[in-house]
This record gives sequence, structure tokens and C-alpha cells, in this order.
Amino acid sequence: MPDDIVIDAAVDITDVVCPVTFVKAKVAIDELDDGQALSIRVNDGEPVRNVPRSLKDEGHRILRLSDNGDGTYSLIVRKTG
Amino acid sequence: MAFSNEQLERYSRHIILKEIGVKGQKRLMTGSALIIGAGGLGSPAALYLAAAGVGRIGIVDADAVEISNLQRQIIHATPDIGVPKIESARRKMNAINPDVKVETYHTMADGKNVMELISNYDFIMDGTDNFGAKFLINDACVIAKKPFSHAGILRFQGQTITYVPGEGPCYRCLFPVPPPPDAIPTCSQAGVIGAMAGVIGCLQALEAVKYLARAGKLLTGVLLTYDALTMEFRRVKIPARRDCAVCGANATVTEAVNCVTAPVCEGIDI
Amino acid sequence: MKLTVGGNVKEFKEGLTVSELIEAEGIKTPMYVTVSVNDEFVESGDFASAVLKDNDTVEFLYFMGGGH
Repeated sequence: MPDDIVIDAAVDITDVVCPVTFVKAKVAIDELDDGQALSIRVNDGEPVRNVPRSLKDEGHRILRLSDNGDGTYSLIVRKTG
Repeated sequence: MAFSNEQLERYSRHIILKEIGVKGQKRLMTGSALIIGAGGLGSPAALYLAAAGVGRIGIVDADAVEISNLQRQIIHATPDIGVPKIESARRKMNAINPDVKVETYHTMADGKNVMELISNYDFIMDGTDNFGAKFLINDACVIAKKPFSHAGILRFQGQTITYVPGEGPCYRCLFPVPPPPDAIPTCSQAGVIGAMAGVIGCLQALEAVKYLARAGKLLTGVLLTYDALTMEFRRVKIPARRDCAVCGANATVTEAVNCVTAPVCEGIDI
Repeated sequence: MKLTVGGNVKEFKEGLTVSELIEAEGIKTPMYVTVSVNDEFVESGDFASAVLKDNDTVEFLYFMGGGH
């Protein structure tokens, strides 16, 4: 998988619980321009199960989800629409 | 404008709604509403607007809380008897949401103060209980080009309509002439079921939130009526009157006065 | 002829005027009611002369002053 995705912004949502996880991600992606990429640090468990799906439901593109090995994941999303 | 983590959590149920989202919540937090009358309708409206995080909320009321209010004026409680309603309201609103700026006006809206009162707010809510005030608020809002929510309740019925400048009828289109002072029964004469104030007041709060957040369709040109005995809601289409005395092309009402208490009412045949 | 009055479909005699409908429906405060027929207002001065047709929709709108 190519490792040349340009990240335009990053947000850490490991300090909040669902549904505020999605809310925080939504607020961060709202700040970007269409087409820009956001990197999100997500906790394992409910957040990693819910947040990618919720963002996808809003029309954004999930570029990558990778396990950081420390109980968190890195989710890369491209703002779409 | 950045949200704190606490605000994200507080407004999370709004922000995840597609129709509100981040933009809508920001609009609410930078928006303002004036509630004229902290009684039956004003009570639930004030509580929900505070909960929604409307940035600035004005409350106008000259009265103190009385025991007969408590059956329906849900923002007031037994320990508030004798306390000015605006003060009782402000305390509960800030208890729900300390971020909201509550501005209180210990007065009745009348011809002398209404234009200035409404000038500082984005959306006006009629929570009054008499026709003089209802026509006054309507006329003032039409003249000042302010959107507002009109409502009335009696016995087991309620109705509400929303006026947005240029988008439909005003209250005078619906009722061109105010009735004489004792022609229509008041709540104290005919009674009103307590929760009706909640139903209709909450509908008014929804209209205010939707207007400020720019979500959904408002009750412009539609009178929503509710009968609690039959549990029937009806939407009645209301046309704008071309010859309306205040919002029509050749308006004769150019000043907002209380037509019922004022001795002379220009252009109106009482 | 059929008229829808306040959302309810009822049978009435042909050629009924708005005034006659107000009486037939037992409207208690005819001087303070707003009438619309097919989403258009009928002025109170025209109640006696406005003739209703088959399938017309009539709404009676009442003042409701309470709020406090």
C-alpha cells in the first residue's frame, strides 16, 4: 500500500467516549477543505468500530486504518463533499 | 470558533444531526432570541433554547410568580412564588447552560419599548396571553423585518404560526382586526390544560432553533393547530393578504401600538 | 354536495353560503372567526353572498389568546 498520503490535519479523539468521538472527528473534518486528508487517533473498541463507519456514512472516503499497536488506531480520512 | 471538549459533549446530540452539524451549532451559539412573556409558552421555550446553547436569550416579563402559574409555567417552582418571573427564568436557564447569556427585561412590551426590545435579537417569540400584545408584537416584527413565532393556547387547544419577512402571512393577515377586550375568553376564564403550554411552547422553541441553525422548513404560511382531546394536529394553509394593514403593499399600520389598551389605533376599525 | 370543513368531509345542501355554513356548524363567535375557502380568505362582509361549491375546503380559524 503506498505510503505517500499527504496529511493536512490531525486530531486525537482518544480522550473522549462515543458519541463524542464522532462529534470531535466531525468538527475536525469540518475545518478542512474538500479533498484534504485528516489523520485521526482512535481508541480500540467502540470508537474504532463506530467512527470510520459514521464518517463513511457522511460521504467521506476512508483511505487507511492502521493499528498503532498501543491500543489505538490511525485512521486517515479524505474529506468528500 | 472552537468547541471545548465539554461543549462537544454538551451539544453532541445536535452536532451528529446532519441538519444541524457543526455549522448549525455554531449558528445557535452566535445567535439570539427574545422571549416576550415568561409564562406558559415562554417557560418551555426558554428552557429548550438554553439547552440548545442559543448564545443570547432575552426574557421580557413584568410579573412575579404566582401559585396559579405553577400548573403550567414549568420554568417556575414553588420556592419562586413572589420572585420576578424573569429572575426565576434566568436562574433555571443558566443552571441548564451557564454558557448562555440571559438578558432580562422587567417590563411589559408596549408601544414605547417594543421596537427597541426586538431590535437586538435575531428571532422573536410571542409568549404573551392577550391580543393587545400579540398584535403589538406582530406589527413591530413586520415593521422591523424580524422573524417571529406566534402562538396561542386555550382549554385543550393550541395553535402556532411562524412569520418570516417576505415569506408569507403575518398574524394580521390571519386576523385583520383585534377582538374587543372581553370578546374571547382568557386562560383564567376558560382554563387550559397544563401540558398544552409545553407542546406549543416546545414547537415554538423548535422553530427558533431551526431558524437560527437554518434547518428544515418553518411554519411560514401554515397555521399548525392541535386538539389535545382528539390528539389531532392539522396544518392549515394561510395566504398572505395583499391588502394586509401592516404587511401588505399599501400598509396603513406604520407604528406598533397596543390596539386594545391604546385609545386610538390608526387604520384599525375596532 | 360534499364540503371538507375543518378537515372533515360532510354533506350539505347545494348553494349553501358561508353564512349558512357558519350557522349549520354552530360557530359560537361568528363575528370573530376567520374563514378561508380553498386556501383563500373570505371577507366577513362577503359571508352572506359567498356560495360554496361541491368539493370546496373550508377552514374556520379562531383567536386563541392564551400563552401565559
